[in-house]
Amino acid sequence: MAASTHAARAARDLRGAAFLVAPLALVAIATAAAGDPAWTQTVVNFFVALTAVVGIGIYVGNAGIVSFGHTCFMALGGYLSAILTVAPNFKAGNLPGLPAFLAVVELPLPLSLAFVVLGVGLVAGLTGMVIARLDGAAASIATLGLLVIVYNVLIGAREITRGSQAFYGIPITVGVWTAFAAAAVAIVLARVFRGSSIGLELRATREDEPAAGAVGVRAVPRRWSSWLLSAMVAAVAGALYAHFLGVITPKAFYFHLTFALLAMLIVGGMASVSGAVAGAVLVTVLIEALRRLEEGFAIGSLAVPPVFGLTVVGLGLAILLVMYRRPQGLLGFAEIEELVAPAASPHVAPGPLPRVEAAGALVAEGIGRSFGGLRAVDGVDLRLATGEIVGLIGPNGAGKSTLLGLISGVLRPDAGRVTLDGVDATDWPAWRMARRGLGRTFQNIRLFRNLSVHENVEVAARRSGLDAGPLLAQFGLDALAHRPAGTLAYGPQRRLEIARAVALAPRFLLLDEPAAGMNETESDALLDDLRRLRDETGIGLLVIDHDLRLIMRLCDRVVVLDRGQVIAEGPPAVVQKDPAVIEAYLGRAHRPTEPNSEG
Amino acid sequence: MTIELLLQQVLNALSLGGTYALLALGLAIVFSMMGLINFAHGEIMSGAGYGLWFVILVGLPFGLGIVAAVVTGLAIAVAMEKIAFRPVRSASPAALLLTSFAVSGIMQVLFQNLISPKGRPVAVPDVLTGSWTLGTLHVGTIQALSIIVTLALLAGLTVFFRRTRMGIAMRAAASDFDVARLMGIRANAVIAAAFGVSGVLAGAAATFWVAQRGSVDPLMGFLPVLKAFIAVIVGGLGRLEGAVAGGFLLGFIEIGLRAFLPDDLVAYREALTLALVILILVLRPRGLMGRARESVR
Repeated sequence: MAASTHAARAARDLRGAAFLVAPLALVAIATAAAGDPAWTQTVVNFFVALTAVVGIGIYVGNAGIVSFGHTCFMALGGYLSAILTVAPNFKAGNLPGLPAFLAVVELPLPLSLAFVVLGVGLVAGLTGMVIARLDGAAASIATLGLLVIVYNVLIGAREITRGSQAFYGIPITVGVWTAFAAAAVAIVLARVFRGSSIGLELRATREDEPAAGAVGVRAVPRRWSSWLLSAMVAAVAGALYAHFLGVITPKAFYFHLTFALLAMLIVGGMASVSGAVAGAVLVTVLIEALRRLEEGFAIGSLAVPPVFGLTVVGLGLAILLVMYRRPQGLLGFAEIEELVAPAASPHVAPGPLPRVEAAGALVAEGIGRSFGGLRAVDGVDLRLATGEIVGLIGPNGAGKSTLLGLISGVLRPDAGRVTLDGVDATDWPAWRMARRGLGRTFQNIRLFRNLSVHENVEVAARRSGLDAGPLLAQFGLDALAHRPAGTLAYGPQRRLEIARAVALAPRFLLLDEPAAGMNETESDALLDDLRRLRDETGIGLLVIDHDLRLIMRLCDRVVVLDRGQVIAEGPPAVVQKDPAVIEAYLGRAHRPTEPNSEG
Repeated sequence: MTIELLLQQVLNALSLGGTYALLALGLAIVFSMMGLINFAHGEIMSGAGYGLWFVILVGLPFGLGIVAAVVTGLAIAVAMEKIAFRPVRSASPAALLLTSFAVSGIMQVLFQNLISPKGRPVAVPDVLTGSWTLGTLHVGTIQALSIIVTLALLAGLTVFFRRTRMGIAMRAAASDFDVARLMGIRANAVIAAAFGVSGVLAGAAATFWVAQRGSVDPLMGFLPVLKAFIAVIVGGLGRLEGAVAGGFLLGFIEIGLRAFLPDDLVAYREALTLALVILILVLRPRGLMGRARESVR
């Protein structure tokens, strides 16, 4: 994957989609050939559900946020398409509240679907402005609220929707081929989105939002785009339901459907499109089987009475089983072609590292920050020029990591200012600092654990326009490129984190305890690597570490922090002899190295 | 708009908001402990309602029914934790949410099959259905009681969290579960206690709910608990005071809309209430009392 161009990526995603669409096409052909009504009914139902599930997965899978709300977009799609396609004389009698222009139209399905995509897209775009700002459980609950709001509005607006009564007479125009086509389009869209830069960045925020911010990724706009696209696909699925059944009610798009669709998504694995497809197949089979049981049946002379709600119990137990045994779903994070034919990690020649062209400096002037009554950082001046290596040391609790947070935009200073190449950057959030040339690593390694090693670097490399492959080789990670980052050993994880930061082509790089947990040999290797990095790229490096042996040999200049203030600064040899430093830092521990990390 | 009418609405809002606050507080306690938004909290509430219904059905006095509601709520909550949530305790928030979602669906079907899909009437004694008249103000007995008991419960919980060993342990676990464990706090005990408290609060809420409506049904808990979810996120996820404030806020918004909404919009009351509260999140995505999340590590 040396040339990760747009075309190559699209080709890869389309090939992956083909893996999924091909067997579905066979099912469609077989169904059309057989022409059995009951079977056709089941298959069309499956394709429509599949379209919905794949659509929902575009948001849920990539953002990692469970949505209960997408069924409401199906409802809106279904009702909108119904209103657009039924005959005007039906509307005159049943839907007196319709605006005049809607009362007279009678559109064919394809045109109606276009309006469904636009209309529901508008609603999704607006609601997404709220929901994309939320994460985790808060977002999930907000989507649930949205579902209940839409349900109540559909029931309340009875002059337009017939309220809780059935909306019947919808033209039944959806058969096997239309439903299959919708599912195929949904799968292709979902695969292309997943592999796109937006999809990759969104998956990075799913794995670790602060780390994504550190490579310039803003979560909110990414979540918004996936919300919009997934709502549009769900809306089409809802419209197809309406034109397949001919009759809809608000209740048809409420909890039962939500439950079934989420079960499909979860059982297969919500993080991949293949998982959504696999889940839709399995759960459809389960529902069909349970539905027969639910109606009551006889074993010989023994009649088993109908059991109410058996499908809900069955789906509930299926969800529980998956949660207990394999919470990431049957397929986990992988797409089907990655499981069937795993890509080899070809040897790639190490490429040149990005070079810093113009000199500049990252400067903090008098910055400070309090937490409650504690002045964690108090009036610190710090200057890091391109091409130099500055060490930042100090006893535990001296404020080193807080200082790093203030400089990198994760924390906002309450005093002083930060400038980046002379531009005031005090109020810049982390993602903007990253985009303007500041890379960083974290004290507790923060990788995108369920993304591959290659993808971890790719997130940053796509922003800077670098090629991820040769860069990985440069860091000796090319052989591991397709492994999930979370499965790497400790040393390679540290290296990967640095590689990811370098892939951003930064002008300045902040390393928070890169040598933590390393033995002497490893720390020597790190020293060589960092020195070479500086020499070859001209990046300005700020290194926090407790390994004084490393700091003193590596750095051009050392800054010593104690109780939030700079107590010494200068060349390593000078700082090492400073009485204030010895008292504050070295004097406390009689060992020259203090291996523990800051709590 | 007279002062009396306004006062009347304030009382209504306090009563309804208080019930939401009890439910929201229970949700927030469990959330702060293990990051779970318990979707099945509504079924704890419905189950507690059935406890009350059963005691009245067999002819015991209403007072015992209240005890039964609280005990049932407690028992269901603790059992739910042990059976359903313990195996997935360390899973991701999404996995926890989905687990509780499945539990909720299964329990609804159980209520429908084992008891009845339709509502079951609960006879409420005359003492409780009456009202007092203070000047021109009519105060329902249940309403007044619900306000008093809610405030007493909130005060009692405050004391519990500040003074008792278990309460302090729970607060420690809520602020940092891993550190609390290192300090020797037993995870199983605090989590079970958190569920227990949430069950008791759901039991109390169920009592007020059933006493005011006179019946129990399998989906009874759904709407009030949905509002409590919203109250919890509006208050700031995991902030106990926030959840209580969010519950009362929701009560005031709902009563306000019920009182002042023009007739042609009454059908949209629920939708408007939820939409208004969710819109608060536009202004404060972390909720009313949410801390801005900052992390330097």
